[in-house]
Amino acid sequence: MLKILIPTLMLLPTTWLSSPKWLWTTTTAQSLMIASLSLTWLKRSAEPGWLTLNSYLAIDPLSTPLLVLTCWLLPLMIMASQNHISPEPINRQRMYISLLISLQVFLIMAFGATEIILFYVMFEATLIPTLAIITRWGNQAERLNAGTYFLFYTLVGSLPLLIALLILQKDVGTLSMLLIQYSPPTLLPSWTNKIWWAACLLAFLVKMPLYGIHLWLPKAHVEAPIAGSMVLAAVLLKLGGYGMMRMVILLDPLTKELAYPFIILALWGAIMTGSTCLRQTDLKALIAYSSVSHMGLVVGGILIQTPWGFTGAIILMIAHGLVSSALFCLANTVYERTNTRTLLITRGMQTLLPLTATWWFIASLANLALPPFPNLTGEMAIMASLFYWSEWTLILTGLAALITIIYTMYMFMTTQWGPVPPSMNNIEPPHSREHLLISLHLIPILLLILKPELVWGWYY
Amino acid sequence: MVYLVFLFLLGLVLGLIAVASNPAPFFGAFGLVVAAAFGCGILVVYGGSFLSLILFLIYLGGMMVVFAYSAALAAEPYPETWGAWSVLVYVIVSVIGVLGAGYWFVGEWDKFMWVAEEFMELGVLRGDFSGVALVYDLGGGMLIVCGWVLLLTLFVVLELIRGMGRGCLRAI
Amino acid sequence: MNPYVLMILISSLGIGTTLTFMSSHWLLAWMGLEINTLAIIPLMAQQHHPRAVEATTKYFLTQATAAAMILFASTTNAWMTGEWNIQQLSHSPSTTLVTFALALKIGLAPMHFWMPEVMQGLDLTTGLIMATWQKLAPFAIIYQISSTTNPTLLTTLGILSTLVGGWGGLNQTQLRKILAYSSIAHMGWMIIILQFMPKLTLLNLMIYIIMTSAMFMMFKYNNATKINYLTLTWSKSPVLATLTMPMLLSLGGLPPLTGFMPKWLILQELTKQNLAITASIMALATLLSLFFYLRLCYAMTLTLSPNTTNTSSTWRIKSPQMTMPLATISTLTIMLLPITPTIFSLIM
Repeated sequence: MLKILIPTLMLLPTTWLSSPKWLWTTTTAQSLMIASLSLTWLKRSAEPGWLTLNSYLAIDPLSTPLLVLTCWLLPLMIMASQNHISPEPINRQRMYISLLISLQVFLIMAFGATEIILFYVMFEATLIPTLAIITRWGNQAERLNAGTYFLFYTLVGSLPLLIALLILQKDVGTLSMLLIQYSPPTLLPSWTNKIWWAACLLAFLVKMPLYGIHLWLPKAHVEAPIAGSMVLAAVLLKLGGYGMMRMVILLDPLTKELAYPFIILALWGAIMTGSTCLRQTDLKALIAYSSVSHMGLVVGGILIQTPWGFTGAIILMIAHGLVSSALFCLANTVYERTNTRTLLITRGMQTLLPLTATWWFIASLANLALPPFPNLTGEMAIMASLFYWSEWTLILTGLAALITIIYTMYMFMTTQWGPVPPSMNNIEPPHSREHLLISLHLIPILLLILKPELVWGWYY
Repeated sequence: MVYLVFLFLLGLVLGLIAVASNPAPFFGAFGLVVAAAFGCGILVVYGGSFLSLILFLIYLGGMMVVFAYSAALAAEPYPETWGAWSVLVYVIVSVIGVLGAGYWFVGEWDKFMWVAEEFMELGVLRGDFSGVALVYDLGGGMLIVCGWVLLLTLFVVLELIRGMGRGCLRAI
Repeated sequence: MNPYVLMILISSLGIGTTLTFMSSHWLLAWMGLEINTLAIIPLMAQQHHPRAVEATTKYFLTQATAAAMILFASTTNAWMTGEWNIQQLSHSPSTTLVTFALALKIGLAPMHFWMPEVMQGLDLTTGLIMATWQKLAPFAIIYQISSTTNPTLLTTLGILSTLVGGWGGLNQTQLRKILAYSSIAHMGWMIIILQFMPKLTLLNLMIYIIMTSAMFMMFKYNNATKINYLTLTWSKSPVLATLTMPMLLSLGGLPPLTGFMPKWLILQELTKQNLAITASIMALATLLSLFFYLRLCYAMTLTLSPNTTNTSSTWRIKSPQMTMPLATISTLTIMLLPITPTIFSLIM
């Protein structure tokens, strides 16, 4: 654990001490080295227990893919931000990179924590750098509103979680994930326990986000700069899924009944947000709503509590993390050239940027879960487990999948095909930095087709 | 003796009404002095002669200062006395209130009377005298602190009323 | 003000608090409180500004009322039980009366109304003394009577204060009033845990004093008394403007900053006492406070107002204020959470 954490912390001196000319190069290189070092976590012995264990931090098959994803995303975020941050004064560039680095530190400690309360503290700690990234480096004035929504939605959910965790510690005597699974609390179906159950999950449902409490997410995505959108879509939403998977084990006898409304809401939300995407005119908002739709499936998969459900959830989380981050990067390449996110204006990109159109194509196919992509594996596992629970869910999940395909194709066709509007005559050609950025997103997705068991979680 | 007590009590009540009926500060201070004097008289009747002496001296000293001060400050051309209508209303209300309260408590009012001298029957010494002796004997530190506070109060007052032209407390 | 007089006043301010700390006798404790009040009054009014004079008058009246109530209640207690010791306040009405008097002294809701208006009349240095040092003496007494006070009363005062502190600050644009409401909310947290774990009250007081001093010193450094003064502070001291954001969020109690520590420990103790609902209300009430802290963050750190300078030379006069205390205390304001066990063991 420390062999990743300490180099990540040492990124801060790198950022503040390297000469302005080499700032972006050195930080990208070092973070990429950390990311490749973190790949060693994926190679582990066969048993699905805790590894690289010390008293506070450890990894297990559930957290490993998310940790590697976190480490992988930092160089990509730095690369993606380079164009729009480098005109700023040097200290602000350094501050920005430092915020991204601190986010990675918090996320590693959140995913690696063995104490639930440490996880909680780090879960909350990620709010501060994200808030600064969104509201300080966003573009429009609405970013302040978005920051407030982001902070308060999350906190309203997570303060009851803190109380619930403290109650849990009072009842069980420990909050260590290593111990608590052997002595889960005995839950009688009383009102107190039901409220406690809801408090345990609400924070994560807000963070996922569940349909109905998702309003902060599109705002945050639309207003955030590219790195903020990337890390939100790729990792921060997954904190919610990860936390739910950790907590739901402890809530056993109650979840069976109490999860019904949440499962239905999640599946219904997948359809509703998908339909919202169909009418969306804002490219970033479209991708954001698509995230909500996919996360609805993940919530369903987790709450159904079968091995297949968990496996599908974790696979879909990783795949969605990479794909939606790639889509945000692609949207950003368009935005940096045209200064608009409106779908009506940014058309006919295929004739202008042919290679980028290829990236769009692959990312769109992955987003709509075409067969070999891991997105399909995840969605299939979740759908199958939901189908096994109740046949009727197939209507909801099938419709959601169909709508996903429709809006993704809509997004692809609107941006890539059609006539080139006259306003886009002299746009810049793509940089190799951008191609590298997108391919570093898409190569892991393509490679995961060959070895999906890396992200299967506990049930490999 | 009973008539004396009655006189003192009546004077106390009337003095308090004189203050509470909100006349000009000039007359209000006068009412306070009257109330203080009669209150000390009541203390004497109930056995606290030393206490009442100290109280009378300190209170009268304080009252005289306040009296002179308010007389200097609030020298209104037409001060409201107890004859003025606005004050008279308060006076009447207060008198009715006192009479009403008196009627309510009549018959058992002496149960609420406390004796100022605790050891009246039992002690050889007078309690308040020995209390003074104790203060000077054991409370030397206290006295030093009190002296310091007096000095402090002097400075505080001086600081507060300094700077008339800049809007200090005195410029009412 | 004459430096000798200032010396007398400042030392009396110290003596008053120390006297209250030392005393086990109600009369001495009361004297300490009164000396404290007397000594700060000229400091408050030293500007001779009408607002300052108004604030001084209000402060004097409230503190004198509170002190008189304390004297009355302790005398009654001594009359009824024959005991002048602070820790043996066993007569029930006097206990309640003393609790109310002390609540008035530290500005707990519903006796908080003087607090924002008094704060608004002071300059930032006196405001700092007001918000920190002046809380110590009442808390010394509160801590001592914690075992005998009425639990329902304390809980009511605590919850009401956190709610009022959050609500009141929402529509303020004056920084000193915002800090006054923040103080009310923090006092609520201290009072609610008093009956269960008085040590936590002290811990919370300590952390509160650190955080509030950092805020006051920061505002002092920037000469800021309104929110719109804050928007240009980044051009004067960019590092301070950046640090202010975590400082404010720490005041709001976000993990992983210092301000989370007392809230965490208090919530833990409350849940241990099976008061989960109270704990939830307290926790959610901080969101109200957090909203106005967040607005300060927006104004100061997270938006850039249009500015004229891009040069590296500052166009303002360098502040004569020493920056070392500010640097130290703002570091403490941000980074104390990881050493919670050490601080906890120091307090216990």
